[in-house]
Formats: sequence, C-alpha cells, structure tokens
Amino acid sequence: MRYIDAGYAVALSVLTGYAALLWRRWRRLERVAAPPQKPPAR
Amino acid sequence: MSAGAATVPRWSTRSTRVVRALGAASVLSVAATVWLGLWVTPPDQTQGNLVRLVYVHPPIAWVALYLAFGIAAVSSALWLWPRTRSRFWDRLAAASVEVGTVFTALTLVTGSIWGRPTWGVWWAWDARLTSTALLLVLLLGYLAVRRIPADADARARRCAVVALVSAVDVPIVHFSVNWWHTLHQQAVITPDLSPTIHGAMAWTLLLGFVAFTLAFAWMLVVRYRVEVLAEHLEDNELDVALRERRSEGPRAAEPLPTGAGAGHDTTPLVTTPTP
Amino acid sequence: MWRDTVLMAGKDLRIELRSRVVLHQVAPVAALLLVLFAFALGPDRAPLVAAAPGLFWVAVLFASVLAVQRSFALENAEGARDALRLSGLDPAGVFLGKTAAVALQLVVLEVVLVAGVLLFYGSHIHSAGSIVVTGLAGTAGLAAAGTLYGALSSGLRVRETLLPFLFLPVAAPVLLAGTRAWQSAMGIAGSGPGAPWARLLVVFAVVYLALGVVVFGPLQEAQ
Repeated sequence: MRYIDAGYAVALSVLTGYAALLWRRWRRLERVAAPPQKPPAR
Repeated sequence: MSAGAATVPRWSTRSTRVVRALGAASVLSVAATVWLGLWVTPPDQTQGNLVRLVYVHPPIAWVALYLAFGIAAVSSALWLWPRTRSRFWDRLAAASVEVGTVFTALTLVTGSIWGRPTWGVWWAWDARLTSTALLLVLLLGYLAVRRIPADADARARRCAVVALVSAVDVPIVHFSVNWWHTLHQQAVITPDLSPTIHGAMAWTLLLGFVAFTLAFAWMLVVRYRVEVLAEHLEDNELDVALRERRSEGPRAAEPLPTGAGAGHDTTPLVTTPTP
Repeated sequence: MWRDTVLMAGKDLRIELRSRVVLHQVAPVAALLLVLFAFALGPDRAPLVAAAPGLFWVAVLFASVLAVQRSFALENAEGARDALRLSGLDPAGVFLGKTAAVALQLVVLEVVLVAGVLLFYGSHIHSAGSIVVTGLAGTAGLAAAGTLYGALSSGLRVRETLLPFLFLPVAAPVLLAGTRAWQSAMGIAGSGPGAPWARLLVVFAVVYLALGVVVFGPLQEAQ
C-alpha cells in the first residue's frame, strides 16, 4: 500500500504545485502588465 | 485574444468565469477520483491494492502522450502552414508542450512506482516506457529551443520544426522497440499492467480520465494566457521600464522580466541596473 | 531543385576535399571511439564481437553530429549565409545537397570504421548486401535528420550543445534498427531477422528526407 500512497502523493503534489506555479505567474504578469498608474508589485 | 503592440491583453469576464469554473471542476473531479480510487473501490483479484494506480497512471499517460503532445504537434503544423499561420497556434503549442512535459514526467514516475511492486523492477525497456521516456527528452528539447532569445517568428519556426520532428519520431521509436521485443529470439514479455475493470472500478476510471483531462485543460488555458502576457511584456519592456523609471523617481527600477538578451551574437540593447 | 542539390553538394564536398576536416579530425575521433570501446569492454574478443554492431552505430551517431556541425560551420563564414539567401537557390535543393554531402562523408567514414571493426574486433560479415543496404539507408536518415536540426541550431550561441540534445533522441531508432540489422548480417548469436530493420531504416530515411524538403524553406527564413 505504501507504493500506492506514494504514487498518488507524487501525482497530486506535482500537479498542485505546477498549477499553483502557473496561477502565481499569471497573476504576477497581469499585475506587471497593468496600466502605468499602478506601480508594479514585487 | 492576441495582443496588439501596445494594448494590454485582456480577456472577457465571461471567459475568465469559464476558466474559473474549469479550475473548480478539475479540483472537484480529481479529489473525487482520489477518494474513490484510494478508499471506495475494491482491491483487484490479482493485483490487490496495487490496482489503485490505474485510476491515476493511465489517465495521466493519455493526457501526456495523446492530448498534450497531439495538440502541440497539430498546432505546430497549423502554425507552419502559411494559410493557417497565426500567433495563436504557436502559443498554444508552447503551452501544450510545457504542460505536457509535466504530465509526461508524471507518467514515467507513476508508471515506475506502479511497476516496482508489480514487476519487481523500477524500469523496463518495453515499447511504452521507452517511447514515453524518449518523448520526455524530445519535449525538453522543445522547451530548450523555446528559451533561446529570438524574435517571435524565428522562435516559432524553430519550435514548430522540433514539434513536427518529434511527432514523426515517437511512433517510429514505439514501433521499433516493439519489434525489438517481438523479433528478439529470447523474447522478453513484460506483463501488462491492465487489470480487469468492472463496476465501480470502471466508473472511477472514467472519472479519472475526465478529471485529469479537465486539469490539463485548465493548465493549458492558464499557460496560454501566461504566454500571451509574457510576450506582450517582452515586446513592450522598454516602454514598461521607462514608465517605471519615471513613476518611481530616483529609486532603482524593478528588474525586467527575462527575455532581454542575445540569442545571435549581439549585445543586449537594454542593460538592467542592479537594484 | 535537383540542379541546386548538385550545386550545394558539390560546393560542400569541394570544401571538404580542400580542407579535409572530416577526414583528418572526425574520422580519427570515430576510430578512437572504437579503441576506447575496446578499453571499456575488456581484452576478450567475445564481448566486443557481440557488441560490435552497436558500438559501430554509436560511433556513427557521434560522427554524424560532428559532420553536421562541420557542415553548418561552413555557412557561418563571413557573409556566407546572406550570400546563400541571395543566391536564390531552392531551399529544398540546399537541404538535399547538404544532406547528400554529409551522407557521403559519413559513408567514407563508415568504410573506415567497418575495416576497424573487422580487424580489431574480429567480426565476420555473413551478408555483405544487407550490410551495405542498411548502412546506406541508416546513413541517409541520419544525414537528413541531422541536417534539418543542424540548420535549426546554426548561428545560435548554444548550437554546440543544442544539436546533440535535439538530434540524438531522434537518431535513436536508427541506432536500434542499424544494430539489429547488422547483428543479423554479422551472424551474431541470438539475433532475429534483419529484413524488418532494413525496411524501418528505409522508411526513416524517406520520412526525414521528405520532412526536411518541406520544412527547410520556412526554417531558413528564421535565420
């Protein structure tokens, strides 16, 4: 059963991690590309 | 969806709502698959609890090998063909390759984890594993070419060629490794992992396919949007940098997003001041 | 297109005849590989004979990377690339010409390597025809795929590491098929029939030659 748990854990954490990465990148790029009144956030 | 030279890329609220719904649906269906797969469904007669990875590994493999790679190959071909050329296809291909790389790597890892207790080995040189491993290398090659600084058109051309060559190569590799085993005099037969699926298992498997496809779709759309935004910033970074300079006064400007630099042997036009 | 092919191949081969880079540098490296394999696999002939086809094709793969890199280094000379575009040569012809030149150089190199394998490993050839056919088909495929990727990476700063990274995975089926075919042609125990592999090599060559012809033009515009 340990193998199965490991398999699920790896799949879920990688997918969640990548999804979070994408999400953050999207948000950050939208902020930086925003109109000039807003100073870009770090 | 494509951006003009100076207009900031924007998407309609409706499409963003669809994306959000897609994200929610993926999270729910994946969670449901995990719950059903790990606890609700019965263990297999031959494989016991090891069968539970069938709800995860084949769906991920399908997404990686057929969906992501297929979209990448078709988009690249459509971009390369002059009559259908549009920035959309290049960006879609790039997004699909990146997300596909993640899924391909996961296919190999979950397959290996499944294989170890089932076959006793972490790896076997059978047709599927070998061509999947090769696909991963080919996708990494695409990503490497993508990262070479160049104007969008040149980069798109190179990447499209890599995608097409890869699309042609993977089936050839699959066939040759297959023959390798069947024609070999002391044929090595790797036991097939496919268990007999029925009842609750079948439904869970179907849900698994749907869930990971939805997850892929969400990631593809977000990655596509990231690509559009990143390209927009690359095109306008000089303007952005100047705006930042003016708005922040004597303070040093924020480091520019990566993209400025030399691909061919030229010195960069803009050097970033160290903060 | 064929006229341009001959023109291009002729130019590349004439440069090689005069500079002899492939002959003096690539061939010795490939031959050196055979020697190194002998160091790696031990003084006994048996493992060497058994592995000889595979070792040969690995050496050929390695040499083809070098040959392709050389082929496109020629184009990086002062203004050569612009001159090529201005010359109005059909890009398909340029591709086929360069592929032919690389293939020819590789064939010469392979003859040397085969001699090395026969002499130093003690291999025997049972079916010379099969050796020749599969050798030519495999070389054509390698040259075609290599030239295509060589064009893609030419002029880039990362070209030296990019070309092997892109090309070698694509060349893997040639390695596999070539080895199996030569195992059968060299009468090595435990090998299956060689004919399906010969067919695969021919298909590979045809596919990549066709792909190159179609795609080389759009690729050239990226430079």
